[in-house]
Amino acid sequence: MDHPLILNAEGVNKSFAGFKAITDLNFYLTEGELRTVIGPNGAGKTTFLDLITGRTKPDTGTITFGALTELVPLSEHEIVRLGVGRKFQTPTVYTDHTVFENLLLSLEGVRGVWKTLFSKTTSTDIDRIDEILKIINLGSRRTDLAGSLSHGQKQWLEIGMLLAQNSKLLLIDEPAAGMSDDETALTGELLLKLAGKHSIIVIEHDMVFVKQIATGRKVTVLHQGSVLCEGSVDAVQNDPRVIEVYLGRKKAA
Amino acid sequence: MNKAWLHFVLIACVGCLGFARAQDAKSARQIIAEAAVLSDDSDSQVKLVQSLTGLGDPETEPLLLSWKEGGIYLVPGADGKKVAVTLAGDPDAAKKETAIRLDIKEPLKDAAGASVRVSPTSAELAETDSSIRRAMKAVTDLSKLAAPNAKDRLMAISQLGMERDVSKLPILEGRLKVETDGQVKRAVQEAIALTQLRSPDAAVRLLGCKALEEIHPLSAKDALVGIIRDSEKAGDKPLLEAAKKALSAVESHRTVVNFFGTIFRGFSLGSVLLVVAIGLAITFGLMGVINMAHGELIAVGAYTTYVVQCIFAEGLVLSPFGMQMSLPGMNTTGWVYEMYFVIALPMAFIMAALVGLALERGVIRFLYRRPLESLLATWGVSLVLQQIFRLVFGSNNVQVNSPSWLSDNWTINDVIFGWNRVFVIGFAVLIVIGTWALLSKTPLGLLIRAVMQNRNMAACLGVRTERVNMLTFGFGSGLAGLAGAFLSQIGNVGPSLGQSYIVDAFMTVVVGGVGSLIGTVASALGIGVIDQSLQQILGNPVLGKILVLGAIILFLQWRPAGLFATKTRSLES
Amino acid sequence: MTHSLLVRPIAKKEWTFTAIIAFFFIVVMPLLNSFGFISDFTINLWGKYLCYAMLAISVDLLWGYTGLLSLGQALFFSLGGYMMGMYLMRMIGDMGQYHKDMPDFLVFLGWEQLPTFWKPFSSFPFAMVMVLVVPGLVAYVFGWLAFRSRVRGVYFSILTQALTYGASLMFFRNDMLMGGNNGFTDFRFILGFDIRSPETKRGLFIVTAMILTVTFVGLRCLTRSRFGLVQQAVRDSENRVLFSGYSSPNFKLFIFVLSSLIGSVGGALYVPQVGIINPSEMTTDNSLEAVVWTAVGGRGTLIGPIVGAVSVNALKSWATRAYPDLWLIILGGMFIIVVLFMPKGIVGIPGMVRDWLAKRKRQKEPMEDAAIKKTEEEAA
Repeated sequence: MDHPLILNAEGVNKSFAGFKAITDLNFYLTEGELRTVIGPNGAGKTTFLDLITGRTKPDTGTITFGALTELVPLSEHEIVRLGVGRKFQTPTVYTDHTVFENLLLSLEGVRGVWKTLFSKTTSTDIDRIDEILKIINLGSRRTDLAGSLSHGQKQWLEIGMLLAQNSKLLLIDEPAAGMSDDETALTGELLLKLAGKHSIIVIEHDMVFVKQIATGRKVTVLHQGSVLCEGSVDAVQNDPRVIEVYLGRKKAA
Repeated sequence: MNKAWLHFVLIACVGCLGFARAQDAKSARQIIAEAAVLSDDSDSQVKLVQSLTGLGDPETEPLLLSWKEGGIYLVPGADGKKVAVTLAGDPDAAKKETAIRLDIKEPLKDAAGASVRVSPTSAELAETDSSIRRAMKAVTDLSKLAAPNAKDRLMAISQLGMERDVSKLPILEGRLKVETDGQVKRAVQEAIALTQLRSPDAAVRLLGCKALEEIHPLSAKDALVGIIRDSEKAGDKPLLEAAKKALSAVESHRTVVNFFGTIFRGFSLGSVLLVVAIGLAITFGLMGVINMAHGELIAVGAYTTYVVQCIFAEGLVLSPFGMQMSLPGMNTTGWVYEMYFVIALPMAFIMAALVGLALERGVIRFLYRRPLESLLATWGVSLVLQQIFRLVFGSNNVQVNSPSWLSDNWTINDVIFGWNRVFVIGFAVLIVIGTWALLSKTPLGLLIRAVMQNRNMAACLGVRTERVNMLTFGFGSGLAGLAGAFLSQIGNVGPSLGQSYIVDAFMTVVVGGVGSLIGTVASALGIGVIDQSLQQILGNPVLGKILVLGAIILFLQWRPAGLFATKTRSLES
Repeated sequence: MTHSLLVRPIAKKEWTFTAIIAFFFIVVMPLLNSFGFISDFTINLWGKYLCYAMLAISVDLLWGYTGLLSLGQALFFSLGGYMMGMYLMRMIGDMGQYHKDMPDFLVFLGWEQLPTFWKPFSSFPFAMVMVLVVPGLVAYVFGWLAFRSRVRGVYFSILTQALTYGASLMFFRNDMLMGGNNGFTDFRFILGFDIRSPETKRGLFIVTAMILTVTFVGLRCLTRSRFGLVQQAVRDSENRVLFSGYSSPNFKLFIFVLSSLIGSVGGALYVPQVGIINPSEMTTDNSLEAVVWTAVGGRGTLIGPIVGAVSVNALKSWATRAYPDLWLIILGGMFIIVVLFMPKGIVGIPGMVRDWLAKRKRQKEPMEDAAIKKTEEEAA
């Protein structure tokens, strides 16, 4: 392989009160890759992100970030500081802070209690924030409260916060959910712009959106907590197992 | 006690059973009348009094008492000789009363045949000196030994046992032969063994030790320790060993008794906690509402019990806010009165449920998504309710009487099982089963669980969530009312009744795991038993309580979501 | 450009306003008192109110700014009071009932000599250090345990309630050697001044007003620094804070300890002014009462708790005399009303009025538009 692995999950298992959410999952992501993960409801997609970010701990298995760093024993904020950023399914921003402040708090660097007490906002900080505001198309809303943004804008702000964090690996959970078509397309472009500089895992249901961002890239299908198949969008869509999983589910429903 | 006197009594007592039979013609009344007049001859008086022993005359005791307390007078009769009389209590203008002959219970006549009247202040009192009084006491004690009621006998025997008067050994032994009741028999054995330890005869003391080893009564500890000390000094080896053995038997028995006693008290405290917390397990655990007024709902239940009790008795007058309000009473007595509690239970449930419904409609329904705010608003409600209690019922505790079927106890092998504690355990079991059945076996329970899991989804499916919320909260509040009715039987009922239980109740629910009924049960019993054990070990209830609170905080380190956490995939809770 | 520690700068107007108010309390009121325009009683009463304001600010720092409703603030307030009380008890010297150089209750309990831990409290500086150390340590240990295990929201409230309850049980005990349920009272001197003289009371009032001002200004800066932003972010979305790489437990712990210190200093100033401290101060109800002050004044603002503490207590002073039976009902009712209808408290009233006027205007405008249209049509 020409690129080194940035994420390496092997033999991961996790169950909740008897329900096996993740079963013997193996997942590899190379640096700079944009990977889309699809799968029916309950396939374990969100749980998988929870496991990477340390929100829940696997019963067995290893998750390695970069060359050597084992993520399992670390706590959430430590994993974030390593460079793993996550955008939640429902946008989670600080609604009572301005857009600027949201990004300021996310800027890489100052994290400790004492440091935040005595940190000054430098002009480099401000330049960086303005740069990000341009990328996420929110330059005009700089001093507005984040709570006043539209749903789509909040999603972008959250992605912008991950950028400010300078995360190497971005975990994006259903970015297109609840967005208008235009916003969805813009979001797709944004993600494509970021691919290469960052490694990205996108979880998505909307197949139009998946086609937009995953054409020419690898797609992973999760089913019942493990990888069903991997390949290009077309290959995956025509895979009989995938069809059965989706259609079989539909019949049952 | 002086030695000569001791000998004297010993001889007298041994003989007196037979002696008394010989004079069977005389009643206690006659003997006492005869004795009272012999005021110059104290020895004969003592003998006569002693002869009362074993007569089994029910009048003996009251008459002796009246003599002792100066109720018997000596008045010259028709022949000028003094006669023992009592006064009839019909004072005339000169404060004179009719003299009644003690022996035949008829008015005393003078020479002219008229009733003699004397004034209590001028008439001569039949005096008693210390030796007579001692003899009297011996007689009354012994007469109690033969009382027809086992309970009275038991009391008399344990009293004798505590006196440990060697002179009374023969009496106790005599009783042992005829006693049929198992418990009393045991008590007699105990009393004998304890008294034997005082015997001047080493062999008898040894016998006592051996007996004590066998029956190992808890009360024998001090006596045995004394014997061990003395026999060590005297170098009496066999006695020392026997005493040591007996002591260790007593001690190990004490451990067993304490152990079971602690477990029982732990379970009963646990049941109290459970009864108090189960309503909270519904409103807080299932609905997520922090109801700081839960304690006051408990108090509503307790006050309802009080009101019902008063209505069964003489009624009561309340004066809230300057108004006068009187509730008529039914003046019942006996078993009808005792049944008031049976009526009070459902009434307490209903009243608390109504207050709970009003609280839900008026305040809580606006705050379902703001738990901290609901905590604050309900605290405001709790202040208001407390003050209302004060205004209506006064700031002092009100008196709630336990029905007699809750105030007795069983003693099994020295472990005391109070009926109210046994009742609370049974009551808790019933409530838990009832709640569980309601939640898991009825259509309403299904709706409740649905709404509590996902309000929006349930609403979309056509469930009238508003109503379900209301009913659930009402039910939880009603359970608080039941708890209050219950607590009125084991503690004080006052305006701040609820405050003393609210912390415990919240702790119980949190430790059990919010939303888990079985968790609440487990944590209530666990906290109860641990609390009582710590009290037993530390010998200090407050310290025990503090330790329990500390332990709970540490416990939540280990299991932040409680004992029986409902594991969900949604971490946003 | 903005090379300031404050992310949200403080306007000049605010500084001036703060300075005026502070000047009034620190200089004008004591002067008026010394010339007899304000009675000694009033000064003493306001001194108490300002101590309550410290307590309310400590509640607000936790609840308003960080979303942690602590029911343990009364505990820290009393702990501070107890530490000060120990010093004041030592200052009684041998003027107690038993005329021994140790607190009466210790003599009564049969102590021949002063227990060791009492000895250093003869020193004022030591007692003042303890005012900070003891509550700070309690808060640190408890907070560390609680936040580490992710105790949040109402669970935090319930646990702090249990902490307070447990502590009051301890202080009620005689063998704690802290005066049992009578606590400490009959103080005589503070730093050599007669504690009952009007001059000392005036001095205490000035010190309280100064410390309150310093606290207010300090917290004003703190809440507007980057730290303050993180703190408020914890309140609004703790998960996002974690996923931005901040260790939210550490932030909460810092705030919890800081607010315990503020409460404790408030308590230490309170005790010499009221002349008594006992375990009944250490109840959840007292903590909750401070929450009422904060809520009534307006939470999430720093001026709110001060306004609330002063106004509710002024109301209390009046109502407990005028309607002693109804005070608790008023207090409880006030709480219900504020929670349900006035989430922003007194400080929020102007905003509420403004919103209401704006809404009315909006409703009126379309009508006016329609009216204009109508006249235009008619004209046509």
